[in-house]
Amino acid sequence: MKLAKEICPTTTLGKVHKGALIVDVRKEEEVAQVTFDVPNYINIPIDELEDHINEIPKDKEIVMVCLSGERSLKTTYFLMNAGYENVFNMRDGIIKWVAKGFPTKGDVASLQSISSCDCSSSNCC
Amino acid sequence: MIYLIVNHKKQSDKKIYLLNRLFAINKIKNMSKTIKILGTGCPKCKTTIAIVEEVVNENNINASVEKVEDIMEIMKYNVLLTPVLVIDEEIKIKGRVPSKKEVEELLK
Repeated sequence: MKLAKEICPTTTLGKVHKGALIVDVRKEEEVAQVTFDVPNYINIPIDELEDHINEIPKDKEIVMVCLSGERSLKTTYFLMNAGYENVFNMRDGIIKWVAKGFPTKGDVASLQSISSCDCSSSNCC
Repeated sequence: MIYLIVNHKKQSDKKIYLLNRLFAINKIKNMSKTIKILGTGCPKCKTTIAIVEEVVNENNINASVEKVEDIMEIMKYNVLLTPVLVIDEEIKIKGRVPSKKEVEELLK
């Protein structure tokens, strides 16, 4: 099995500007609180992904996102197993995205209680 | 000469003993179930492990219980929702904590 390709929020934003699709696998209630303010975005909760996989195009770059990057990593592998080649996982999720000051909609403060990201990886930008 | 005969008998007995042990181990191995609990260490996964271990111990079930926390290993089973209960490489329950009764039924 191939390793999933993981990227940081900065690289994700760069890919978004080039037309990549953000697939957010958080629950609807999480998305209602705070979400990504980017043009190419869809929300498919992880427990619905199996039934809605056809909504994700195979001819685009796909970046899977969630709160902390854990759920989205599973879904990245799931898509890889389903034959998606241009799929990436965004490390550290929306928590890191917010920390970087990237565009969001909603109540960013709602993340503060769970913002325990302590990323010490030298590869994380 | 007597010494040699005795020594030979001892070695022969030892061989028989070792062979018997090997057969016994294989027999146990063949009967044993392999239980895997896939999960990334969330509370639900921990509860599942506790339930499975409780059932195995209470019913003296011959089984090995293995926690699988590595995401690559988990995704070899292509599952999105954890915890997942795998018995003898077959996915039995996914995405929820099983009841004790359910696990008992599955391990019968």
